Amino acid sequence: MGGFAKKSSAIRSKEVTTPEIGVEIGVLVQSSTGTTSDYATLMPVNDLLTIKSITKSFSKRRVLEDVNFSVRGGEVLGLIGPNGSGKTTLLECIAGLLPADAGTVNFNERVLPRARRKEALFYLPDAILPWAEQSVKWALDFFARLYQCSASDATALTEPLRLGALMPARISSLSKGERKRVLLALGLLTAQPLLLLDEPFDGLDLRQTRDVMTLLRSHAAKGRTLMLSIHQLVDAGRVCDRLVLLSGGRVAGAGSLDELRAQADLAEGGVEEVFLALT
Amino acid sequence: MASRAFWLLLIMMGPLVGHGFIIAVNLYAEASGMGGGSAALAQGLTPLDGILVPTFGAYDLAATLLFPFVAIRAIASEKQSGGLKLALQFPGSLPSKVLAKGLVLLGGWLIALVPGLLALALWKIYGGHLYRPETGNLLLGHLLRVMLSGAIGVAAAAIAESAASAAIVTLGFTVGTWAIDFIAAGRGGLLAQLANYTPTAALRFFEQGMLRLSTVIVMLAVIIAGLALAVVWLDTGRSLRARLLATGALIVLIAGAMVAVGGMRAGWDLSENRRNSFSVADELALSQIKDDLRMTVYLAPEDPRLTDLDQNIVKKLRRILPHLEVDYAANSQTGLFEGADEHYGEIWYQLKDQKVMERSTIEPVVLEQLYGLAHIVAPARAETEDFPGYPLATRPKWAAGIFYALWPLLTILTWWLVRR
Repeated sequence: MGGFAKKSSAIRSKEVTTPEIGVEIGVLVQSSTGTTSDYATLMPVNDLLTIKSITKSFSKRRVLEDVNFSVRGGEVLGLIGPNGSGKTTLLECIAGLLPADAGTVNFNERVLPRARRKEALFYLPDAILPWAEQSVKWALDFFARLYQCSASDATALTEPLRLGALMPARISSLSKGERKRVLLALGLLTAQPLLLLDEPFDGLDLRQTRDVMTLLRSHAAKGRTLMLSIHQLVDAGRVCDRLVLLSGGRVAGAGSLDELRAQADLAEGGVEEVFLALT
Repeated sequence: MASRAFWLLLIMMGPLVGHGFIIAVNLYAEASGMGGGSAALAQGLTPLDGILVPTFGAYDLAATLLFPFVAIRAIASEKQSGGLKLALQFPGSLPSKVLAKGLVLLGGWLIALVPGLLALALWKIYGGHLYRPETGNLLLGHLLRVMLSGAIGVAAAAIAESAASAAIVTLGFTVGTWAIDFIAAGRGGLLAQLANYTPTAALRFFEQGMLRLSTVIVMLAVIIAGLALAVVWLDTGRSLRARLLATGALIVLIAGAMVAVGGMRAGWDLSENRRNSFSVADELALSQIKDDLRMTVYLAPEDPRLTDLDQNIVKKLRRILPHLEVDYAANSQTGLFEGADEHYGEIWYQLKDQKVMERSTIEPVVLEQLYGLAHIVAPARAETEDFPGYPLATRPKWAAGIFYALWPLLTILTWWLVRR
């Protein structure tokens, strides 16, 4: 654990390169919109995480079929697909919380055994209600202590996620959107270099969605790699650098929006059109 | 501290312990001659039987019917809420996390032990006698008993899909052990050996002032196995096949441990009146018997003479003679219809090729037969070994107020303060 934990604290202080991550800096990356992103910054382009041939069935129902793609260091990767396409199952297999029937997960080009996944990545599930009887402040303090965050790290999340007024409230008393914001704060307090977020915008209103997108981009700009599972295609197009299209448990396409347009033989169009064309 | 189940357990412990304590003190007082009646024989008045066991009986009840649900909740709520998915990714190994849960549960139980300790303090204030070794031994027994219940609950919660299913599994386990206890009574053999390690039977040894090494080892092994099972089943990333294999391996290990310690005789009689031992002189004399002693008992399981024989003779002999074999040869459960059987009621003792029959279950009579059989000179009985007894004619002053009112109120108040 020590190596990755040290690494993530280095990320927090914007020292992007560490020998263990093994990435290079100095490459300008464009956003998924095809223009230079507002958040464009110096980012590594090496594959941080590589998913190879992941397959998963529940009884006789095949949920994931030979899934292959990679996540680049410092990017925001969107895993998009309709309900039931296998996004959550895939995230849980990657996190090592579900056993995959086949396939491997590589981190920095080396096989990452299931037991060591938590050192490299943290997965924040959707629709969970942990420690319902505890206050929001308790949960945030707990995570901050667990991942040795500074007070400023925790405070930096309070305003964009509008958690100030929620601090004394019991988690069980929160609305769906409030709960989502608290969970996002918990996820962002973790120390792993790669953060997997399942439906990070589910339950948020328009303004909150925009604020959370800004927050996530700012974390990516500091060098943290994010992988988001999103079923709202428009949201995905706005926040992600690259997209992986999942349909019926298979990868239907992967790349930036321009690359996906090219794959779909579309001259123009948004994520929705591309998705419809490729699936 | 956020668990409602724990606070409810805490509130209930006061009245449960208090009820047992108040009744025990009143009965002890009556047996000691209070209320104009004649006092029982002083030798028969021991605080272990009269006060400690009935008072701490509340903890056996709680460990059987209440505490498992606290343990189940500790795991099931995390599974249900999704907190487990986060916890599995926290720093530290899963075994250390399950162990931490276990320690938290143990800490909660130690808080629940306060009413019992208050009862002991009151008993001392009344002028009652406590013999430290047997008191400590009883507390150890209850501690192991509750840890065992907790481990079973934690394992059930880890394996089952929901808290309700885990509760059914836990209750099923409890009822199953009761059934084994009942069926194995007076039967001997493998089933009787297994029945020695059911939670109820294991606690009974401690309640009688016995500290048996094999009982402690098996209880600890089951506790560790329960926690290990929880580790195996909470590791959701493990395949079902791997979990089943690990479960099978654990069951084999536990069975192996039970068989391995089955023949272990090491144990200490910590009761003040040495109820589990012959006199020191008799033990010295009996230890000269090196050959196998075989007993054939023609008494049915429900015959009270069999209980006397087991209590007065068999369990004491087992501690002295390494090779004692008891064959329960009666054909029925009650013995009611075996009266015509020419052997019914007989107890045969065989050493090498010599046999002797005795119907009595009284200690001196049986010992005399054994000495004769082994050609050993019977030792003289020392007068000083007699247990003096501790009669105490007193009423349980303040107990009702403390256990029925003060404890529940204080617990509710603390709960309210913690939740604020």
